[in-house]
Formats: sequence, C-alpha cells, structure tokens
Amino acid sequence: MTEARKAGNQRSLKGQMRVIEAVMASLIVVSAVAFLYLFAATPSSQSQETSELEKIGHNVLHDMDEQRLLTRFVYNSEWTNLTSALFVSLPTNVYFNLSIYDVNGRAISHPLMQYGNNQVFVSSKAVASVAYIVPGYQTSYSPRVMVLKLVRG
Amino acid sequence: MRVAREKKGQFIVIAALLLSIMIISVSTVIYGTVTYYRQERWEEYVTIVDSIKTASYNLLQVGLANYAQTLNSTVLRDYFNLWVRDVRKAYPGFGADLSCSLVSGVRSAYGVNINYSLGLARTWSQPVSFSASNATVSLDLASVGLTGYSFSSHVFLKMNMRDAVWFSKSSKRYVLIYLSVNREGPEVVVNLGKSNFPDVKLSGVSQAFSVKRYYSSTYNCFIYEVRVDSISALPSSAEVTLSDTRGIKAVSYTTSIQQDSR
Repeated sequence: MTEARKAGNQRSLKGQMRVIEAVMASLIVVSAVAFLYLFAATPSSQSQETSELEKIGHNVLHDMDEQRLLTRFVYNSEWTNLTSALFVSLPTNVYFNLSIYDVNGRAISHPLMQYGNNQVFVSSKAVASVAYIVPGYQTSYSPRVMVLKLVRG
Repeated sequence: MRVAREKKGQFIVIAALLLSIMIISVSTVIYGTVTYYRQERWEEYVTIVDSIKTASYNLLQVGLANYAQTLNSTVLRDYFNLWVRDVRKAYPGFGADLSCSLVSGVRSAYGVNINYSLGLARTWSQPVSFSASNATVSLDLASVGLTGYSFSSHVFLKMNMRDAVWFSKSSKRYVLIYLSVNREGPEVVVNLGKSNFPDVKLSGVSQAFSVKRYYSSTYNCFIYEVRVDSISALPSSAEVTLSDTRGIKAVSYTTSIQQDSR
C-alpha cells in the first residue's frame, strides 16, 4: 500500500512539474511577443498618408502618360474621358480634383474634373498635391502642368 | 529518476528561450524590411525627376514627328531650348536646371547607321527607311542638392520593305508589298492600321490599297501586307509612307519589284 501511494505521489509531482514547465515556456514566448509589440514604432500617420497619396497620384498620371492617353485627353480636350480614366485608376476611397495650367501658371479653361464634393477637400486633414508636366502632343510644343489634388474618403 | 526529470524540464525552458530569440530576431528582420521604404519619405523631387524624364522623352517624340513632317532640322534644338526655360518656370521652388546635349555624328543601332545632326536623323526612300532622335539631358535640383543627374533618351522608327511582288497570272493582277515596322526598344510595332499608311505609290502614282497584318513564317516576324489591285503592268517602283501613332514618319522605296506568275 505504502509503495503504491509513493508511486502515486511521484506521478502527481511529475504532472505538476509538466504544468509549471508549460506555464514558464508560455510566459517566455508571450513576453517575447509583448516585447516586440512594445517597441514596434509605427510611422506618423498624417505625413505617411500624404506621401502615399502623392505616390498613387503620380503613378496614375505617369501610367496614363506612358500609354499616351494623358496627352491625348489633355490636348484634344477629352475632359470626360480624363475624369473617367482617373476615376477608374484611383482607389475607390480616394477623391480627386484635377486642374490644368500653362507653364506661366495661367489656368487652362476646362470643366470641373473632380470626384467627391468640395467639403471633402476642405475638411480633410491630409490633402496630397501632385504636379505633372507634359511638353506637347503630336508635332506641337505646348507644355501643360497638371495639378492633381487627392484626399482619402 | 529525479535527475532525469529535472533535465527534461530544463530542456523545455531552454527550447522556449531559443524559440523566443528566434521570434524576436525574425520579426525584427521582417519588420525592418517591410517598413524600410515607409520610413523613407517619398520626397516630391522623386516625382519631379521622373516627370521631367518622361516629358523629355515625349519631347523627343514630338520633335521628331515635327521634323518628319516639316523637315525643319533645328526643331529639336528649338524645342529643347524652350523646354529648359519652361521647366524652371514649372517648378519654381526647386531650383530646377536642365541642360540638353543633342547627339551629332554617326551611331550604329538597330542594324542601321544613324547619322544624327542636332539630335535628328532620317533615311528615307530606301527599302529600309527610318527616322530617329537622340539627346542626353542633365538635370540639377538645387533645393535637394541633386546635381548632374543625366539620362539619355532616343526615339526610333524603322520600316523595312521586305519584298514587293507583282502577281501577273491571276484573274486580277495585283501587287503585294510586305513591310515590317520596328521602334526603339527594339519593339515590333503591331498596332498600325490603314490610316497609318497615308500614301502608297506604284511607279510614282498614288494607289488605292488595303492593309492586313499577320505573323509571317517566311520572314519570321509580324508583317504588314499592302495590297494594290488592278495593276496591269509590272510597276517600275513602289513607295510606302508610314506615319505611326506618334506622328513619326518613314518612307520606304524600292525599284526591285519581283514578278510572280502564280
């Protein structure tokens, strides 16, 4: 009987030790993960947001220029096509406003090319602005500067 | 028994410690990789450099298209002089300063010798005809301390009149002209239609024609086949004018027209 009780006690101790070891191992792993979260520094959101929008805006205009669509739309006054192209190229939650100027900063007359109401641009904390220049079209030199303003909705 | 159990427990704790060290190390590397470019500010000057680079290439296309249509040999120099002035105006706060060097002299590229003058070159009225422009642009942006950023751009369009054949034995006598078209890159131009061939002449006379494009196993490339019907006699010459989607022209000409009696 005594031998049997001793053996039972030993098994019980063995089980308790297993539990303690598992708890210790878990604590070590959890503390490692907690340490990572504690020191994970995220970049400031507002400058990051503007930077991201600038990147998106420039890439969209650049891609359209590479496909020779941008110059065609601008110099043939295809404003509706230009607005539609920007609308489908930009993410759905990004609002835009496009203005076109000559190199002296004089505005070129064109209808409003905008997605989103004016309030979105006024109330947004981060408005990105991208300037993109095209020198001419077909055989004519006649530079135009496009200013694309972007906000996230 | 007790010694063995203690050894086992130590092993689990050491394994957990090693696992933690691995997690921290790997996470640090992954986090650093993912956030490296996020921490790098997307400076506006990067977009300006990119924009000027693309625009300068576009200007070469515009200048070459103008030269091909007007034969004004100084047009590229004039355009780049204006461009240098206008870039300063377009980016006033950046201290943008552009200088352009137009290529002059003979250069070999795309299987032909291109004789540039003021950045422009053309060889027309040959079976292999081409138009080309070439310039090196140097950009300074004083506001960010960027100086001497140079890039070369070139534009090229080549039309190769592979063969011109007069088919004389069929009920409708006709001429087929086989053309291949390439641009800089080198890239095969495959998006041309009938409107891109404004003039086809046989024996110096403009003709009505049709165009189709297909891949030719004979020439091992994409071919534009120009067909001119109702040609009763062997023409003395064939001339095809090409104007691509950018407005750049090339004119191919040959006097060796074969006769096929099929």
